Amino acid sequence: MSETHNILDVENINVSYGHLQVVWDVSFSVGKSKVVALLGLNGAGKTTILKTIAGLIRPQSGSVGFLGQDITKLPTHMLAERGLSFISEERNLFISMTVEENLTLGAYSVKRKDKIHENLRAVYDLFPRLKERSKQLAGTMSGGERQMLAIARGLMSNPRMIMLDEPSMGLSPQNVRVVFETIKMLREQGVTTLIVEQNVNTTLEFADRAYVIDQGRVVMEGTSSEVRADNRIRKLYLGEE
Amino acid sequence: MDNIIYAVIISVIRGGFYSLMAVGLSLVFGVMNIANFAHGEFYMLGAYFAYCGSVVFRLNPFLSILFAGAAVFVIGVGVEKAVFVPLRVRSKKNWLMNTFLLTLGISIIMQNLVRVVVGNRNYGLRRGYFQGNMQIFGMGISNDRIICFLISMAAIVGLMLFLNRTRLGRAIRAVSQDATGAQLVGINLGFIYSFTFGLSCALAAIAGACLLFKDPATPIVGLAPLYKSWFVLILVGMGNVGASIIGGIIVGFLETLAVDWLGSGWMDVMSLGIIMLMLIIKPNGLFGKKGVKSAVE
Ligand SMILES: Nc1ncnc2c1ncn2[C@@H]1O[C@H](COP(=O)(O)OP(=O)(O)OP(=O)(O)O)[C@@H](O)[C@H]1O
Ligand SMILES: [Mg+2]
Repeated sequence: MSETHNILDVENINVSYGHLQVVWDVSFSVGKSKVVALLGLNGAGKTTILKTIAGLIRPQSGSVGFLGQDITKLPTHMLAERGLSFISEERNLFISMTVEENLTLGAYSVKRKDKIHENLRAVYDLFPRLKERSKQLAGTMSGGERQMLAIARGLMSNPRMIMLDEPSMGLSPQNVRVVFETIKMLREQGVTTLIVEQNVNTTLEFADRAYVIDQGRVVMEGTSSEVRADNRIRKLYLGEE
Repeated sequence: MDNIIYAVIISVIRGGFYSLMAVGLSLVFGVMNIANFAHGEFYMLGAYFAYCGSVVFRLNPFLSILFAGAAVFVIGVGVEKAVFVPLRVRSKKNWLMNTFLLTLGISIIMQNLVRVVVGNRNYGLRRGYFQGNMQIFGMGISNDRIICFLISMAAIVGLMLFLNRTRLGRAIRAVSQDATGAQLVGINLGFIYSFTFGLSCALAAIAGACLLFKDPATPIVGLAPLYKSWFVLILVGMGNVGASIIGGIIVGFLETLAVDWLGSGWMDVMSLGIIMLMLIIKPNGLFGKKGVKSAVE
């Protein structure tokens, strides 16, 4: 936890479900204003790693540092305030509430009312669709709209870093573009991103670095171009021969 | 005609108290997934505290009822922290069953504790809270009945405004809909659970305090209200706070019907018969959405 120039430092975490260990000695770090990708096949342990960082699962050993402070044992609800936002694979929306209520709750950790309104305007600008649907119940939104809502809700707390678990799942190519352009724009504003994606090509196009996870272990790391150039990766994830 | 109007008024008043009991029960079910069989004991404590406020401290009726609600809120928070916090840490499987068994235990313990402390004597208000009658459509209805009914309605309206209009209320609804999502936006689950349980207990206590004008406090005075509020929940669907309000009134009508047309011995037969029918025909309740954790709306 010494390198304070990193936003996130994951050090040697081991994570199990019951007796089944699924993450083995994983370490990586994310620098400020970087976009870092975790890649890997289904069941590799990517979601487990993100949940561990978010405090939803506790590691057996190892530590997680955020902005130079140890957050390994920090309760999940303290993270939003500290500037870490996790947009989970399940979305975890409040389905019987309106789009706007979901967004307002996204800013639960923000105390100032004017700031909440400002953020609301900003995410509506980003996703005009949500503004049109502001009074609709989240549970009645389409898959793609829910996805946008989850991302927008995650941005309502002025995060320093966002963790996105498969944000492009279920989105049309056009909306996938919107998601990645958003990440790019956030980076320009100084927001760091840790992203898990199946959409490897597009992800590597936008990411600075990538870590490849296989059966719970980091098997390769490097800049996006290094990872893309790796033969094993091309075969496994890009379906190239 | 007069008879019908009278029956309607009596039903609504009777049902209003059931609603107040049922919303609290529904709230803890919807938010915490607890099947609370000790809900009646908080009603019972409310009755004792209101007696204490009224007779011992000589507070006015409104303050006595408020005092009962506040005191039982604190006790409810204490019970939540002492019992459910550890249970949440230990019990992952069979959570609902465990809450049922545990609250049944709490219920028995509380009844006996109260019996040990104050004995079996009835503590009632000899002359009610408010003297006199009011004329409604030419029918005399006691002020006690009307004012206490209005107090319980105010408690329900207050609860709904709180849940829908305030930051904390929204957070409670958020937890009921997606606990993980709530944590991720910064809501402290532990705090919400304690607060919600306390709130639910306070609502039961207000019901017990209101009805002290006719039902004296005894160690088992909470049993009937407990059954009634479970009846409401089974009727309208579990964990649906809005529907519980309507459900309470429906039960009020059903009971009046049974008493007027079949005789008072039939009141509980009718209720239980309908419960059994509901469980067979429509186990999710009249307004039940599938899945028990439907919205607190
Ligand atoms: N709650 C759980 N209980 C038991 N095992 C689990 C649980 N959640 C995940 N696992 C197992 O842990 C392993 C890693 O799962 P994880 O969800 O982290 O993978 P992933 O890389 O995110 O996969 P995907 O790309 O399919 O989302 C899998 O083998 C999975 O079956
Ligand atoms: Mg996953």
